Amino acid sequence: MKEIQRVSPVVLKGTPVKTEKRDNWDVVLEYSGETEGPVIVDLSHKPRFDLQDGNVGEKKPFGFDLPQTPGQSVFEKGILANRMNGTQVSLYNLAGGEDTPDDPGITDVTEATLFIALIGKEVFSICEKLSALDFEDPNREVPFLFQGPFSHVPCQIVTLCKDGDNSGVVLTCSRGYGRDMIHSILDAGKEFGLAPAGENRFSDWIKSL
Amino acid sequence: MALTITCPICGKRNGYEFRYGGEEKGPRPDEAGLTPEAWCDYVHMNNCVAGVQEEWWFHKDGCGSWFKIHRDTTTNLEIEQTEATE
Amino acid sequence: MNRFNHLPTLKVDSASKIAFVYKGKKYYGAKGDTIATALFANGIRIFSRSLKYHRPRGLYSLDGECSNTCMEVDGIPNVRCENTLLKDGMVIKEQNVKGSAQNDMMGFIDKLDWMMPAGFYYNTMHKPAKIWPIAMKQIRKAAGLGTLSPDFDMPGRYDEIYPTADVVIIGGGPAGMTAAIEAGKKGLRVILMESRPWLGGCFEYRSREYQNRQTLNERAHQLANEVNALDNIRVFTHTSAVGVYNNNLVTGFQIGQEEDPFTERYLEIRATSIVVAAGCIERPLIFDHNERPGVMQAACALRLAKTYGILPGKKAVFSVGHDFGLEAAIELHDLGLPIACIADIREDGQDPFLMKRIQAKNIPFHKGWVANTTHGQKEVKAVTLSGIDGLITKKVNCDLLVASAGMTPVTGHITVNQGKLCYDSHTNFFLPKEMPEKMHAAGTLLGLTDPVSIETSGKLAGLKAAFDCENCSIKDIGDAKKELEALPGPARGSKLVTAPVQGRKSFICFDEDTTIKNIKQAIDKGFDVPELIKRFTSAGTGPGQGGIPGHNLPLYVAKYQALQDISIKPTTVRPPLVPTGISTYAGTNHKMFKITPMDDMQRKDGGIFRNIGVWQRARYFSSDLSCKKEIENVRSNVGMLDGSTLGKFRIHGPDALKALQRVYVSDMSKVKEGRIKYSAMCNDDGCVIDDGVVVKQGENDYYFTTSTGRAGQTVEWIRYHTRYDGWDFSLVNLTDSMGVINLSGPNARKVLEKVVDIDVSNEAFGFSEYKAFKIQDTIPVKAMRLGFVGELSYELHVPSSYMKAVWLMLKDAGQEFNIQNFGVEAQNVLRMEKCHIILGQESEQRTNLLDVGLGFLWDRSKTDTKTVGTVALRQAESDQSRFRLVGFEMENNGRAPRDGSLIVDTKVRGYVCTARDSFSMNKAVGMALVEAPLADIGTRLEIFEDECGDERIYGKVVKMPFYDPSGQRMKM
Repeated sequence: MKEIQRVSPVVLKGTPVKTEKRDNWDVVLEYSGETEGPVIVDLSHKPRFDLQDGNVGEKKPFGFDLPQTPGQSVFEKGILANRMNGTQVSLYNLAGGEDTPDDPGITDVTEATLFIALIGKEVFSICEKLSALDFEDPNREVPFLFQGPFSHVPCQIVTLCKDGDNSGVVLTCSRGYGRDMIHSILDAGKEFGLAPAGENRFSDWIKSL
Repeated sequence: MALTITCPICGKRNGYEFRYGGEEKGPRPDEAGLTPEAWCDYVHMNNCVAGVQEEWWFHKDGCGSWFKIHRDTTTNLEIEQTEATE
Repeated sequence: MNRFNHLPTLKVDSASKIAFVYKGKKYYGAKGDTIATALFANGIRIFSRSLKYHRPRGLYSLDGECSNTCMEVDGIPNVRCENTLLKDGMVIKEQNVKGSAQNDMMGFIDKLDWMMPAGFYYNTMHKPAKIWPIAMKQIRKAAGLGTLSPDFDMPGRYDEIYPTADVVIIGGGPAGMTAAIEAGKKGLRVILMESRPWLGGCFEYRSREYQNRQTLNERAHQLANEVNALDNIRVFTHTSAVGVYNNNLVTGFQIGQEEDPFTERYLEIRATSIVVAAGCIERPLIFDHNERPGVMQAACALRLAKTYGILPGKKAVFSVGHDFGLEAAIELHDLGLPIACIADIREDGQDPFLMKRIQAKNIPFHKGWVANTTHGQKEVKAVTLSGIDGLITKKVNCDLLVASAGMTPVTGHITVNQGKLCYDSHTNFFLPKEMPEKMHAAGTLLGLTDPVSIETSGKLAGLKAAFDCENCSIKDIGDAKKELEALPGPARGSKLVTAPVQGRKSFICFDEDTTIKNIKQAIDKGFDVPELIKRFTSAGTGPGQGGIPGHNLPLYVAKYQALQDISIKPTTVRPPLVPTGISTYAGTNHKMFKITPMDDMQRKDGGIFRNIGVWQRARYFSSDLSCKKEIENVRSNVGMLDGSTLGKFRIHGPDALKALQRVYVSDMSKVKEGRIKYSAMCNDDGCVIDDGVVVKQGENDYYFTTSTGRAGQTVEWIRYHTRYDGWDFSLVNLTDSMGVINLSGPNARKVLEKVVDIDVSNEAFGFSEYKAFKIQDTIPVKAMRLGFVGELSYELHVPSSYMKAVWLMLKDAGQEFNIQNFGVEAQNVLRMEKCHIILGQESEQRTNLLDVGLGFLWDRSKTDTKTVGTVALRQAESDQSRFRLVGFEMENNGRAPRDGSLIVDTKVRGYVCTARDSFSMNKAVGMALVEAPLADIGTRLEIFEDECGDERIYGKVVKMPFYDPSGQRMKM
């Protein structure tokens, strides 16, 4: 019997030097010749959940309080929780791990979206070529969520840091757009030297926040 | 292109993120004794105000909520505050 | 030609050499040159011929207000050479000439102007009507600008950018820079847009003293340095703002420098507040032959010398109406330009300081005089000056006539944003009467000429903008206002625009060759306001976007009609305020389509893809577009279809069932676990908009599918129709979460049982049943037994990331049966043979649930739920005038009509939805929507196809479905 292999919606050109098998995903930890400059990291294998409930503000699916105001995000225990509206929270498990919280309001949406991180000081210069949204709004405290069009496609974008070299966002959009979304981001990032990086780069960055 | 809509969840955004949901006409009428004309009026007849109108919008590219705003149809500018339904 | 190389104001590197080709010959320009200045430096004076009369035209302004310098550059026609930077290796050609601009064989037309009064097309070319097509061809040949071949591919890289700003400042001159600095100091995010490649505006090229021995040029640099020192000011140079819209949306485009990764890029900025400091252009002076090469505006002459290092002529006459003209004369005189005389329209009011200098330099000066006509074959050789009353004249030899009536404020950014203009007699300007909300004007466009006043007005505007961003106190604004009031106000403007001439050869619009005489003709015919005159004479409709006629037109019209007060307004200005390439608007134009998890594998298997809605789908798997093999394989063996584009949703929460009841016509409380419920949604007119299946996963927890096209609107639809109810339910769009394989054909079970561990026999997993299980304890699958194509069929919903694995397993397992792909078209034929409808194909906007024969889905007993559409359905039930969906076959083994063909007798009676030559039935069959009287079995249908003339083809109504009427095959 053949080995079961999961496929990411994100295809990045690059030569992986370190990979890891995780829950049937082949996760690239490092690409050869990774650059300092802005990078794009595929995180589509990280578990993501949709939580909806009339009393979503009182829920603690991962043991901590969820953000109370729409647009607000909380990053705790490796979980990025983003308040989408009055009744809905999206949960990104950035640390990894396979537990699905036991709550009838939870839907596993890992498969529904692609998930990437863009890291580096030029990130917002790349973003402003694809979206009119203000990802470095000085009046908002990180992390914060935007739900809106990015390269014409509705996305969730969370700004995790807007501080110089450490700047970065994570982005999800419908999985079907994988090919064209990655193409348009790489095209917009070309002039800044946007290049793929492995998951290690993302983990280091997350730790530094 | 220049229209902006203020979503009660996401704030002021470009109009192209939204879909128009028609004038505010109240909940659908009771079905008992409803004449075809009355039903047709409810579904299709609009006031087409030249001035301020209360209307529904859906934030299709954003948070996915329906809400009402007041808009001056002569200037295409929003006025006052919006009300959320959720 | 020798060029200046030591002026502090120079923007060219006179020592550098940039090679380019003009009319097939090699020339050199300097780094920093525009194409026009490089040509001028090479002695070229005639740049083009005019649109209508083929009159020679030369350099007039330097800001692109007219088409004089339009040429074809590197294959791109109508490039405004005076705004386009010279690049190495450019190939430049003239356009709209027979011969050359120097010697144009069409030049004789200028003598025939008497034949072409204003509106002559309208008067002469329509009787008899046959004339027009012939005349049109000749006119098009003779008149016009550059030409573009239909398959022309615009070279270059076009980009787009949507920056964020609190304050946008249009114009990087002294007022704009000061406004930027003031707003920037408050910590606001400021964007400064300047159409020239550098900041500085009207200070940049002038050496007049600003204060304390500092020149205006030095002051411009000082301000630019202050701007650049503030991190929160973003400067976009070589960037024109071309539109301003509601809620302060500013659009524009930037021209890339050689090191930039773009040729041009489109900008769109939503600002809280806008400062317009776009400055002034010069007001053209109108006299006979006022556009003969050798006539140019004062700033053009001065900038040629000071910015580009070129002396604009050998001997000059000035005919001006403002102090700036005097200043230019003095500066050019000091640079070595001999000046025969200066004619000033004004009898008095000149700056005494400038007058003293003119006297000191012994330049002859005539007050109350004006240029009346220029002489010369092609270029200016002499000019006749006259008193402004025209009584006395004097002829002076010269090769350069600097002519300028005054200044015209650039108010386009204000008026496109609904600001209204009003005539101001002090400045002779049309000035904004009231500014649009959160928009402020500053600088010379308000009529200010004093350098400190200009800057202070910028300061005030910058503070007002900061106030709009809740970042400035009223007191600060009050202080700045007082400061400005203490300074010199707007200068008095000269009233005279037109010399005392008859106007046969006095051009008010260069682009369209409109003369003063034409304007008079229009007014005499009753077209007495600028908007009508513009349409009748076409003045201001050329590539210069009305820059030359601009405010002259209303002023002249008021004068000619001797209006008591000038209530006439300039014609409406519209975006783009500066000509903008379509390629620039197109930007990067990323194509955004969805692909399914099987996209890659299907392409490798030879799938032919089509864009269908937001998706790219495999429509065919061979070049045989009838899909014979694909169809036969499903009917006799087993095939695989990618159905991943189906909408898929989870609905849960206490009121989930209520929400389903609201939108589905069936009674959704009857959905049983383990069974599939097929149902449909209608709109408020009872018209069917969607169909799909629902399965129950738990109490108030359902999984349902929608058609591909409706997936994007399903959440919106359900929320809309429950918006007054306050119900607690949740919707999750899982469309992309799961790939779908439709495994169909008599051998489907044999393939599936090799892949899954559960019992898939007909007894264990019957028709219309639902099962959730795992493959190899790993891959969760939702499986449904459906029969859309009319065969034994399993629809497998698999998490997208596992889809490839399952696909490979099925292919592997199906190898012994020779399993094949089938595409969307094959499915379309298969289901049509079975008379299963596709909404949008067997229905359109007016088609209701009953018309397509789905009335059985409607549960009338659930009256309390206010099901969407049922009110209208009840009313439509007894309506005999509606269409019915019928099946038909073609007579005499005829071919199938095209989809959309009409069913006719003496009138249109219906139309063909889908029809194909069916391989399964061995005849052509199809479905049609027809009027009720034609719906009976056996009725003959007369079918009209597009482009078939009087020929008709015939079919007859037969029973549906055509294939396997008892439904045995999908239940086996």
